[in-house]
Amino acid sequence: MIKIELETGGSVWKVLTKPGQRVEAGEILFILEVMKMEVPYEAPISGEVLAVHFSEGDAVEEDQLAVEIAE
Amino acid sequence: MNWKAETDEIARRRQLALEQGGTDAIAKHHGKGKLTIRERVDKLLDPGSFEEIGPTAGAANYNENGELDSFDPANFVLGFGRVEGRRIIVGGEDFTMRGGSPSPAGLRKSIYAEELAVQYKLPLVRLHEGSGGSVGGTSGKGGASLPGPVNAPARFRSVAEAMATVPVATAALGAVAGLPAGRLVASHFSVMSKATAQILTAGPAVVARAMGEQKTKDELGGWKVHTKNGTVDNGAADETECLTQIRRFLSFMPPNIEQLAPVIDCDDPVDRTDEALLDIIPRDRRQAFDMRRIIRSVFDQESFFEMGAGYGRSQITGLARLNGQPVGVWANNCKFLAGSMTADGAHKARRFMELCETFSLPIASLVDEPGFMIGSQAEREATIRHGTSAVLTAAMTTVPWASIMIRRSFGVAQAAHYGPNGYVLAWPSAESGPLPVEGGVAVAFQREIAAAPDPEARRRELEEELSARQSPFPRAEALGVHDLIDPRETRTELCRWVDRIQPLLPALLGPTRFSIRP
Repeated sequence: MIKIELETGGSVWKVLTKPGQRVEAGEILFILEVMKMEVPYEAPISGEVLAVHFSEGDAVEEDQLAVEIAE
Repeated sequence: MNWKAETDEIARRRQLALEQGGTDAIAKHHGKGKLTIRERVDKLLDPGSFEEIGPTAGAANYNENGELDSFDPANFVLGFGRVEGRRIIVGGEDFTMRGGSPSPAGLRKSIYAEELAVQYKLPLVRLHEGSGGSVGGTSGKGGASLPGPVNAPARFRSVAEAMATVPVATAALGAVAGLPAGRLVASHFSVMSKATAQILTAGPAVVARAMGEQKTKDELGGWKVHTKNGTVDNGAADETECLTQIRRFLSFMPPNIEQLAPVIDCDDPVDRTDEALLDIIPRDRRQAFDMRRIIRSVFDQESFFEMGAGYGRSQITGLARLNGQPVGVWANNCKFLAGSMTADGAHKARRFMELCETFSLPIASLVDEPGFMIGSQAEREATIRHGTSAVLTAAMTTVPWASIMIRRSFGVAQAAHYGPNGYVLAWPSAESGPLPVEGGVAVAFQREIAAAPDPEARRRELEEELSARQSPFPRAEALGVHDLIDPRETRTELCRWVDRIQPLLPALLGPTRFSIRP
């Protein structure tokens, strides 16, 4: 299982995946807004999304657990 | 009568030195998943290349007949060796004796490491695990060691001189505290083992006594703390990876400031183009892109060695090659705080420029700088002071620079990304000016926007109008850049630059006007 943690704080602009969904490596999972920049997070592996730990509009912090993917 | 008795005695003492702290101490050390200092040295160096200095230094105890009863070798191992065939100096504390806290002979050898490196003009690698002095003194509680005399040479002079003369790379491989921790960071490249290392100005017991703070070694000084605050440049999974990273770092470096970095044969074509670079920068200026992807594409394949990825993360610094020529690489990372110049990012960039200046490495700069970080936290961190320090460092460098304007180049902070007389190329996505339009328009046209029937629409209109003015074409018309380039040809352009600057490099050798400090 892969846990994706946030590189920076910011706000969640778009969530493009949900638990149970199958994703391919490189697919964009969610987009943060940080300092007026949209920062996409890609799936590091192909697999099934187990959990998404925030919703659009949430304020988030550095190192926060974002998404879990099972191979 | 010959000298056989004495040569036997030499052999015996050498053998005793190899026994380090003894079988039990070594087993205990291995039990914690750690290598001994001698194993570390062997792993770092080319096989069989270690030439030890002072193996017979240590504390000897003699019986009444004047025969050797026991021998405690100095707890610092030191010598010459080779990495990829190139000679270096290597040393490190022996944790199996006194926990690496220096014995009298150990201290002498430890201090000698920097002096040897400066004398022989060879890169220095220190492999640290140990603590500093003990209140009992180097001779132990009952010892009668004299304090140093007033006319003793300044203890840290040689440490500073080594940094101004030869590449210094260090690793934290176990708990490193006090003096060894100070020496760990007195380096051009440092790496710590995530599995086994902590770096502590003072350990948990001293902290608990003085501060009343109850913390473990890892909480105080584990990798999660020190790879994020810049105490070390890099983290590595384990000891072996630390040593691999040090070998990698040294491969880019000259042996000393009087020689140029080694150029290697390159089988990556200089005219290799990359179609992906045509659309890697989104036209929507709010969308981030992957600067590391650009770096991997432009420089020689697999050559990029990043240093300091964990801190000052809005800036990316490292070493790479262009057609085999080692260069410093500095770029902005727009995914972290928009790539802005933060206080720690500026510190990282300054140290990086000083490294390049000290060892005459040309700098290739990929610019996407929105300006100094702003806001109350940035003000508390004295961002303007640290940022200006980076700007002035760039202004004082003498090494050749090539700066590629990838996207944004704004404010005072952008000046740090261009060296004097640098070669400047711009991608079509380049924008530059005193500040990004989004922030600037709201301030400069505050009244006009407020007075408009639809203020929001007027603001957007003004932003569009002004961003058109920040396009790179007028800048190129004014010879404000050397050229506008097709992003796909960035590698070719940079390789041409590297070829052109070759005749300039020998004149850069020797001491610099400013040298690198931790």
